[in-house]
Amino acid sequence: MIGDIVAIPWVVVLIVLPLMGGMACFLFPTISKSLGLMTALAIFTAVGGLSWQLVEEGAQRYAIGGWGASLGIDLYADGLSLLMLVMAALVGLGVSVYSSGYFSRDKANHFWPLWLFLWGALNALFLSADLFNLYVTLELLGLAAVALVALAGGRGALTSAMRYLLVSLLGSLFYLLGVVLLYHSFGSLDIAILAQRVEPSPAVWAAVGLMSVGLLLKTALFPMHFWLPAAHASAPAPVSALLSALVVKASFYILLRLWLEVFPQTNTAFSQLLGLLGAAAVLWGGLMALRQTRLKMLIAYSTVAQLGYLFLAFPLATSCAWTGMLYLLFSHALAKAAMFMAAGNILRYGGHDRIADLDQVAQRLPLTLAAFSLAGVSIMGLPPSGGFVAKWLLLEASMNSGQWWWAIVLILGGLLAAAYVFRVIGYAFTQAELPHEAGVVPARMEWTALVLAFVAILLGFISPAAFELMGIGAPFGVGCAG
Amino acid sequence: MSWDTALPLLIVVSSLIPGLIIFFLAEKQVAARITLNMLGVLVKLALAGVMLWGVFHGHHYEVRLPLLPGLDLVLRADRLSMLFVTLSTGLWFVTTVYAIGYLEDSPHRSRFFGFFSLCVTATVGLALAGNLLTFLLFYELLTLVTYPLIVHRGTEAARLAGRNYLIYTVGGGALLLLATVWLYTLTGTLEFTARGFLSGLDAVHHPALVVIFVLLIAGLGVKAALIPFHGWLPQAMVAPAPVSALLHAVAVVKAGAFGIVRVIYDVYGVEFAASLGVTLPLAILASVTIIYGSLRALFQDDLKRRLAFSTISQVSYIVLGVAVAGPMATIGGLVHLVHQGVQKITLFFCAGNLAETLGIHKISEMNGVGRRMPWTMAAFTVGAFGMIGAPPLAGFISKWYLGLGALDADQSWVLIILVGSSLLNAAYLLPILYTAWFKAPPASWPAERFFGRYETAWALLAPPVVTALLTLVLGLLAFAPFSPLEWARLITSREFTP
Amino acid sequence: MGKINYEPRIHAVNDILSAFLLISVPGLPLLLAFPALHRRLPWPGLIALLPATILLFISADIFIELPWMLLGGGLGIDSVSRWWLAMAVVTWAAVAAFLHVPGGRGACNRLATLFLLTMAGQMGAILATDMVSFFTFMTLMGYAFIGLLVADGDERVRRAGRVYLVLLIFADIALLEALLVAAASTNDLGFAVAAGAMTLSPFSVLYLSMAIAGFALKTGVWPLHVWLPLAYGSARPPVALLLWGVPVATGLFGAVRWLPLGEITAPIPGMLLQAVGAVGILYATLFGLMRAQWIQLPAYVAIIATGMFAMGLGAGLRDPSVWNQYGDSAPVFVVLVGLGLAIMVVGLAWLEASGRIPSGFRKTAGAALWLERWVAAVVRWGCWLGISILPGLRALWLVKWGRLWKTSVWQRAFNAGEHFLQRWVFAITLFLLLGMTFVVLLLLDAMSFL
Repeated sequence: MIGDIVAIPWVVVLIVLPLMGGMACFLFPTISKSLGLMTALAIFTAVGGLSWQLVEEGAQRYAIGGWGASLGIDLYADGLSLLMLVMAALVGLGVSVYSSGYFSRDKANHFWPLWLFLWGALNALFLSADLFNLYVTLELLGLAAVALVALAGGRGALTSAMRYLLVSLLGSLFYLLGVVLLYHSFGSLDIAILAQRVEPSPAVWAAVGLMSVGLLLKTALFPMHFWLPAAHASAPAPVSALLSALVVKASFYILLRLWLEVFPQTNTAFSQLLGLLGAAAVLWGGLMALRQTRLKMLIAYSTVAQLGYLFLAFPLATSCAWTGMLYLLFSHALAKAAMFMAAGNILRYGGHDRIADLDQVAQRLPLTLAAFSLAGVSIMGLPPSGGFVAKWLLLEASMNSGQWWWAIVLILGGLLAAAYVFRVIGYAFTQAELPHEAGVVPARMEWTALVLAFVAILLGFISPAAFELMGIGAPFGVGCAG
Repeated sequence: MSWDTALPLLIVVSSLIPGLIIFFLAEKQVAARITLNMLGVLVKLALAGVMLWGVFHGHHYEVRLPLLPGLDLVLRADRLSMLFVTLSTGLWFVTTVYAIGYLEDSPHRSRFFGFFSLCVTATVGLALAGNLLTFLLFYELLTLVTYPLIVHRGTEAARLAGRNYLIYTVGGGALLLLATVWLYTLTGTLEFTARGFLSGLDAVHHPALVVIFVLLIAGLGVKAALIPFHGWLPQAMVAPAPVSALLHAVAVVKAGAFGIVRVIYDVYGVEFAASLGVTLPLAILASVTIIYGSLRALFQDDLKRRLAFSTISQVSYIVLGVAVAGPMATIGGLVHLVHQGVQKITLFFCAGNLAETLGIHKISEMNGVGRRMPWTMAAFTVGAFGMIGAPPLAGFISKWYLGLGALDADQSWVLIILVGSSLLNAAYLLPILYTAWFKAPPASWPAERFFGRYETAWALLAPPVVTALLTLVLGLLAFAPFSPLEWARLITSREFTP
Repeated sequence: MGKINYEPRIHAVNDILSAFLLISVPGLPLLLAFPALHRRLPWPGLIALLPATILLFISADIFIELPWMLLGGGLGIDSVSRWWLAMAVVTWAAVAAFLHVPGGRGACNRLATLFLLTMAGQMGAILATDMVSFFTFMTLMGYAFIGLLVADGDERVRRAGRVYLVLLIFADIALLEALLVAAASTNDLGFAVAAGAMTLSPFSVLYLSMAIAGFALKTGVWPLHVWLPLAYGSARPPVALLLWGVPVATGLFGAVRWLPLGEITAPIPGMLLQAVGAVGILYATLFGLMRAQWIQLPAYVAIIATGMFAMGLGAGLRDPSVWNQYGDSAPVFVVLVGLGLAIMVVGLAWLEASGRIPSGFRKTAGAALWLERWVAAVVRWGCWLGISILPGLRALWLVKWGRLWKTSVWQRAFNAGEHFLQRWVFAITLFLLLGMTFVVLLLLDAMSFL
């Protein structure tokens, strides 16, 4: 029995399942909700299967059709991709449950196929082993995401969807150019093969530069975050959650893969630059979040800040730093999804998300507020939470490497985060009148947000086990007890 | 999991679980809430008793859960932690009774009692923390769960006070985090060890250790309300009286002071800290805080504000005691951790009673209140004399050992601080007593309520009377076994004997 | 006499009985001080005196140790304290008979409580065999006595009470210092050992000065006498009877116990004491007796008496042999003065009642005492300073900064920055960049550099 489970090619299942589910939803819109939920559950189980497989047998390489690298399409799963898959599965399941209560019927008909396609693209991206596949999945992902943003309808949403589309295409183009350059130079796009062949040359620099710029644009690193707040804030709540938690992480994942495996000895100036931009993002995002008057905008800017943290690991470049950064990415995904869901609940209940008038809503939705607060704890990096563990590792890495200035940035970022999170929570306790008309918030929407936020907190307690999983296949070297 | 490892966990969980359940109780389920609350309290008291007995007999309670690579969440019961655990558990008991009486018929009680329980969970966790990381974890948790208690009233003033509290404490927490990480990268361990774990470190790192010490003290000093980080405390007075009591006597302020004790003893080690030359500045800072807090208290008319400034002053006794760095002074500081808690909680209960029964908030309104509420004011009198340090009350014992310790460590200047502070204590507390007992009462009180047989509700009256008695007993029977004084001596013997 | 012999010479009384008796001397008044108890008893003041009276008639020196109490203490009676105890019992009995305490619920219960507390304090102080217990009981006595003085009194009595309170606080602090110094020198704070130990201690001068200062403050030696005329002038006769017998006599008793008389030779403190005593006597005779009102006369007599006592103490300090020779007469002196003063007080009260002398206490103009002026000045000064002396790290600053940040150029800068970023300028720049890179790459490719 166990042997059977381990023998199943979970990597393929993970890609095929969502795509099939999406097709089914498209074909049978009347039962799309239940279909979607079932698919989500199935994917969740499949991720479980894959992690078992990886634990039992180590990192997996799977050649589709049995064609092997350089010609065929390879799929590769190690601890890093597993982490991303688990993240996608957790957030995806949450978003699915949440959406089943959120969307009206006609919206749902569009939402489910798109969302499952997006999930499929994500899974494929996290499992791809060559740069061109990565490009294709990235493009797919972008298109699905743009369509989802547009789902909200209305002028603002369409404008930001348009802008998002353009940015997405632009980023992909940059990336593609880099890929072409690499292929031109080395004749292969398989990551493992490239890793062996690549040696410093002007062409490689150019490729690194181009691909990085493209991916940074899509990851919305400061100052290329300009498209993100509008897009994330104007989308429907579950879509915002998806975008902030997962979609931006996809391009980051590619960047990380390149950085870790293809160009491990890139010069330090560039990594310092990335770190600087990350620091700027942390501060700028935090300050801008503080200045927002609308809740969803605040959360979106918080994403900008949190993405900045991820780039602080590049100048440090130790195993500890990578581990911490990935853990941050993970817990941020959960926490940010919970936050956007909470914001969606508030918006639905009170009909607005103006922070100054939140007191009218906040007291009637204790669960939502609890979810927001718990998520906020992780975002602030206060113990005990996944955010804290991550921050601890990053701090430790920066102190260990003697680059203490990054530690200062981390601390400052935490303080800013505390400031903007508590700006919202502070209103939960003030007395205010009931709003005249209150929308109905289904219990499952409140509970999903709470559960996701709770998982983000829980991450603070299970980090040793999580690090063990992440270390499968040693994607970023050993050490740091990870 | 054996009993020895389960006990520290159980003692933390015994208030966590009731707290979490209480959140989900409806506002009207009063009986269920009270039952749960008291159940948690009693279980915790019983467990603390068992643990105290065990630790006294040399039993070793410890539990480790992996939290970070190379770092565990450690809950360990040693003598110092038991001092704080017993204090917080015992005072939590009386405060819960008081809070039940105080918040009768007010809104949001489920939320309040939920966070109330969490607050004690954090405090006990902090007391049992076996390394700096665990300490940090509960320290930050404490910040988070006390915030809703401070803003509980929901007024604009409460919101502002809460915000200020956060600005201070989150900032302090950040400093603490930075210092902790730095320490970890230097040493690779954060385990609290008797006499510290830093003395073996290369002399090259000593300047860094001084900086870390400053960061740690600043981070902890925020909660301990050391100057210049004391600003949040008087503002936090907008909170309901049980919260003030909890804040001042049990949880927040004490957490800071306790942390400083831990840092000096179990991280740096007294002797090493003294050799780094950091204890004297700390003692001076504590002295300045003592005098300054008392001076400010002198000019407050609002009763709770006066008591708040008094706390600022009194808590620094603890810091002063450990910073003077001699065995006697340490006993004084440690024992004051308990004594100040019992006395200050009495005073705050009484202030709450006055506000709740008669609507009195200012000292100038207290004329002759002793005739209307003799029991409350009698308890207040005992607490106040304890604060001044009159024998045979608990405060005298603390002051006695602090003074002896100062002489012992050849730091006679501390005596001058003690004298000045005693004078000021008397100057700001005795007028209250005078006003309450000997001035003629007004024709009517601002907002009087009647409670049948006693001067106020029994749940409001019993706690201060009990703690006042405790003040007396702690002083009178200071040499009895299991008294805080004996316990402090035990702790100190570990730190100082060769 | 300085050495007190505590060797247990228990004749008829067995251990338990003596312990019970000794504890009940201060214990019974303490117990009866609870309103619920004394409210139900007739003559609670006299009942509370019973154990002390019994103790007086037991001729043995007995003592017990109470190691559990406070820092470890004891109670006992010897030839010295017997005198004081006798005087105290007589005084209290007289006052208890005079002081009318109505039964039943009411404001006057306070008076009874304070009366009994003061009594307990004095009894305890007299019986205490070590410094800490003595200090404890004396503190109880002091504060309770102030309550007794002030309770139900008019503004003038309250003023006297306030002044005495301030002096008392200073006194207690000085005595606590002395105690600490003693404790730092010796482990045993029993009178039998401590005084001797202090003779050898390097801190002896500090100890002496602190103890002398403390008891001087308590007893109202010149120039710290200010409260005595005020109190005698305005207290009711029963309370005025207590003035000598309780605070002053106990203070003198404390001085006898605390100072290592007959063992130490301390010429400078001794001379100082003598000088102070002499000046006090002169002052009281010249200034006080000439200008005082009738009703204040006992106060000046008391000041003279304490001055004489101080001179005696000073002589004892200068030359131990003098004390060893004449020290035994000290209690006799105190008792005699007490008797005289009692007669004076009663006589004056009678005279006043029969209208032979002007009744009441005339407040002289501008009579604010230096002490009162100082206290008032401190409070005024503190309020004038605006309460805040040190600014502290204020969250307020952050709030202010927040306001600044809302209004100033910062906001515009941030807005402009974000606006710029969100404009298409940026995206177009990127596009151009992409184009340029592309062209460069093509060129490079054409030149076959790749």
